[in-house]
Amino acid sequence: MSVKITRRNFVKLGIASSALIASGKLSESQALAGSIKLEYGGKDFSPATGVERKAVPTACWSCVTRCAAMGFVEDGRLVKMESNPKSIRTQGLMCSKGQSGPNDVYFPDRILYPMKRVGERGDGKWKRISWDEALDEMVSVLKPLRDAGTPEKLCFHYGRMKASSSKLIKSLFLNGAYGTKTLPGHTSICEGGKWTAHELVWGGHFDNWDFDNTDYVLNFGSNVLETHTNHIPCGPRLIRAKVDRGVKVVTFDVRLSNTAAKSDEWVPVKPGTDVAVLLAMCNVVLNKGLYKGKGEAFMKFVKATKNHDASFADKIATLKKHCADYTPAWASKISTVPASKIEQLAVEFATAKSACLVTYRGVAAHHNGNEGERAAFMLASLTGNVDNPGGRTKAVGASVKYPHLPKSSKAKVTKGLNIAKGSTKKGNPLYSSFPSHGCCQAVLKMIEEEQGVPDVYMWYCYNPVYVNGNFAENKKILRTIKHLWCSNIVYDESSKHCDLIIPDATYLERWDWEDMVDPNNIGEQYIRQACVKPLGEARDMGDVACQLAEKMGIPLGVSSKEEFVKKSYDMTPGVKEAGGAAMMIREGVWHDPNQKPIFMRYKNKISADKVNADGVVYDEATGVYWNAKKAHVKDGGTYENTKNSYKYYVGQKIGDEVFEVFKPDKLPKSGYLELYSQQMERKGHAPLPTYYADPAHDSMGPDDLILTTYKVAVHIHSRSTHRKWLTELYHDNPGWINPKTAAARGIKDGDKIKVKSKISTITTTAKVTEKIGPGIIAISYHLGREESGRYASGKKSPGGNDNDPDLKNIWWTEHGVHPNHIIPNSVDPVNGQQCWMDTVVQVAKA
Amino acid sequence: MSNKEIKSRRDALKTGAAVVATVVATAGLLPKNALAASDNPRWAMVVDLRKCTGCRACTIACKAEYGVALGRFNTVVKNVEFNKFPDTEKHFVPRLCNNCAGEQGKDVPPCVEKCPQAKAGKRMKLGKERYRTGATYKRPDGMILMDMSLCIGCYKCIDACPYGVRSIDPFVKLTLPNREKDLGVGKCTFCAHRVDQGIVPACVNTCEGRARVFGDLNNPDSPVAKLDKEFNLTGTKNKSTMLPGEKTDPHVFYIDPDNILARYKLNKENKQQEFIGTFE
Repeated sequence: MSVKITRRNFVKLGIASSALIASGKLSESQALAGSIKLEYGGKDFSPATGVERKAVPTACWSCVTRCAAMGFVEDGRLVKMESNPKSIRTQGLMCSKGQSGPNDVYFPDRILYPMKRVGERGDGKWKRISWDEALDEMVSVLKPLRDAGTPEKLCFHYGRMKASSSKLIKSLFLNGAYGTKTLPGHTSICEGGKWTAHELVWGGHFDNWDFDNTDYVLNFGSNVLETHTNHIPCGPRLIRAKVDRGVKVVTFDVRLSNTAAKSDEWVPVKPGTDVAVLLAMCNVVLNKGLYKGKGEAFMKFVKATKNHDASFADKIATLKKHCADYTPAWASKISTVPASKIEQLAVEFATAKSACLVTYRGVAAHHNGNEGERAAFMLASLTGNVDNPGGRTKAVGASVKYPHLPKSSKAKVTKGLNIAKGSTKKGNPLYSSFPSHGCCQAVLKMIEEEQGVPDVYMWYCYNPVYVNGNFAENKKILRTIKHLWCSNIVYDESSKHCDLIIPDATYLERWDWEDMVDPNNIGEQYIRQACVKPLGEARDMGDVACQLAEKMGIPLGVSSKEEFVKKSYDMTPGVKEAGGAAMMIREGVWHDPNQKPIFMRYKNKISADKVNADGVVYDEATGVYWNAKKAHVKDGGTYENTKNSYKYYVGQKIGDEVFEVFKPDKLPKSGYLELYSQQMERKGHAPLPTYYADPAHDSMGPDDLILTTYKVAVHIHSRSTHRKWLTELYHDNPGWINPKTAAARGIKDGDKIKVKSKISTITTTAKVTEKIGPGIIAISYHLGREESGRYASGKKSPGGNDNDPDLKNIWWTEHGVHPNHIIPNSVDPVNGQQCWMDTVVQVAKA
Repeated sequence: MSNKEIKSRRDALKTGAAVVATVVATAGLLPKNALAASDNPRWAMVVDLRKCTGCRACTIACKAEYGVALGRFNTVVKNVEFNKFPDTEKHFVPRLCNNCAGEQGKDVPPCVEKCPQAKAGKRMKLGKERYRTGATYKRPDGMILMDMSLCIGCYKCIDACPYGVRSIDPFVKLTLPNREKDLGVGKCTFCAHRVDQGIVPACVNTCEGRARVFGDLNNPDSPVAKLDKEFNLTGTKNKSTMLPGEKTDPHVFYIDPDNILARYKLNKENKQQEFIGTFE
């Protein structure tokens, strides 16, 4: 039911209305009058009855931003989501996706009971079973694998699993108690390549963009006003900076996104060539000496040459030489951006008081994405716009302590299959040098190639067939695996092939502590609590983990996620003193009022005590102090050749002092911000940021176009077409094509077209538009669902019900197309990122 | 929009979805606090087009607040595009019921004027002003409200609104005798039920760019009065309101330095279709 007015309410309303009509006397309206200051939110009332709706502080989970939120409940039904007005991250704002949250709970095709396959895989024949049967079946497979010392044969592939969900399901249960390390994620099909580049350059990842303090914004390929990893905390701050403070915003994008549209300048760029523009901007800064001042000050903390103790002059000379051929004229030929524009923007960026360099998937999801991100760091470093107020800063999130696994439950054998880490076979088309966030799109292919074959392939918040490239191949390989299980709320392209589907709770029916980064650089704690009880027999995967562990005799020490979350807050410093879990449940959010924004941590000096501590040694080659004793270094072991050495990093010697600088994470870089990467060099890549094109782009014929994909403001990756309010707004995704490109192919607006790549062909309609340049076709990637219920595909899911009166009001018949049928799986050769925006296609009238 | 056609309102009637009646205006059901002072407010919205990012948070917030049926919208955002690549421009125009004051002298907006049941309801008082409720009526604070328990289903209000913001609501069944098979009418209410409780409308609460600002034009300290002063919105209604030629005196004002409103071609022939909020 999606009508808010329940029968009970209606009765109440009926009585009230008739009373009103019957009285017929003059009565006073209660409307506010006079000088009343309206509040922004935190409360909501039923429009039908005027009764206040129950407000439950919680957190969104529609996208990875995970905003602090309020759920409003009326007669036991969750009717509405708003932001939590107390949140310093979201400042009381919530996007369209977040507002559609109730659809996630009540869509009529939702999976509500454990289901066991009874027909052939994919036939759609299911038997409803009890939870006991489902858990017993899982244990009957899992326990023998663990007892035999082969826990790694359980592959658990997750899409989004963050904060307390990750700690409980992954750290405590799967890895800690059960012993499998075959736990691939999905980051490489998102923006993992950007994170790897960050690990190579400045250690741990996440850059925050300090729009509140900046004077200039230069954006390469981020649609931050529509979508983004930290959308609501960032987007609204950007538009306010622009309008309220007059901050200039320039956006490079291959199409006119809403972000590009709202920018002062939209600079169209050929897909995959942002790195050329960035390098040319560095060339301008170097040749015009625009690094003087704050750039020069910052370069003290930058490694730009092979030697770690080079002088500033040496660094500049080396970069000047490296960038000498990357002239604006050169970049113009490659990117189609006029040379004068590159020069003008480089000067504006370098001379702004503070300037924020933004990059996202428009840069990262390319064959050369790693170099795009590194080139961006070069430009930001040369102009002193790193980790400074107004620049690209090291993001700060909340930190939460949590209960650990009881020692008695700890796995004695812990192993993982290679499929979790990306291909290690040099020469394999999906091999990359540093897949530090795994290689999601390679998992199924690696199983087919027997680089690691699991007995059980289970997934969570993930859809392996739909979300990776090469849809058809994924489906084929998936169906060859011995056991297929998933925890899901929606019957989709992958779950339809399962042997067992367990019904997940939606995020609005479960508990979590959350930790996403705060644009204030302070860090905000926020809770997710269940707004309503899970529908049907849905169960949070976190609770299922506790129950599976219990049944296998390896209890996790907590019996539910709710207990885990409450215990966590009651033991987390700061939160504990402020009232612990009870306070978080009441308020939803908390931050330390005395915490000042954290900037320029790299300037922190390391005390002599730490440098002289037991086991700490100086590494001549890198200038790094590290604890060799704790790292169990072997004879001849150095910082660079010792496994996990970076975990024992102490500080970086710069001149006569030791600084914290940019602490390494995941990859053994030095403490410097490394524009010159020894790691890259060691693996045969150019150590300084370098331009190279996708090989397929170099050999394009006159009829070829580059396919680019994108997200829209009203859908969530692959996860929202079952939400009726979103799909009503966006249910068709014609290919955007420039009038000249269309005319050359005899294509008119609205024509059916075929889009063909080397692996397959899809048919869609043409949207002939001035919002995209020649040589490109843009197709968004939310739609073209095989399943996901009636709002998404027109198809009822097994177990779906008819109790939503809006089913009668569906007015659209289009369901769009999915570009992943024609996009092959691929990798950035450095970091394993899927190259979403590089596919060469031919487009013709169908 | 192309081939997307929503069921005509007559078709919608035939579907006869079994639903209950609702009263959109809730004033009479609220607790007796904040009783009227001598001066009534004049509620108004200011939409700063510079700040609208086209995110549609407003549209969905409204869907959720009211459980608006598929195919109906109380507020939408329209894309307005012009120029050729690479100088292409794309702008966004949020739209909703303008809560019009009505032509000066008449002081009745067209929807109320055409409603045969505009004064069929209770005698009410707001501050010092007396008024009557009706199927569609204007409250002294400027809100254009509806009471579907008084509606006869003539749909003249739908035709009368030049903006096309009213539509048949498949979730509201009429209750007057012999009208029980007919459906009611829906539109934006300026979230009277929230404003009466001291909180801003749902769309304003969530607007990502804080492009939507709501308040009392009669109160110089309100955010809308301040914006009116800064941008002279009430003094330049030909530029700051939609379809000024209709002389409806809208109370949704636009801050529009780029003259987007003038370039937004509202398709008056198909004004209800124009009020469908799909994302392009």
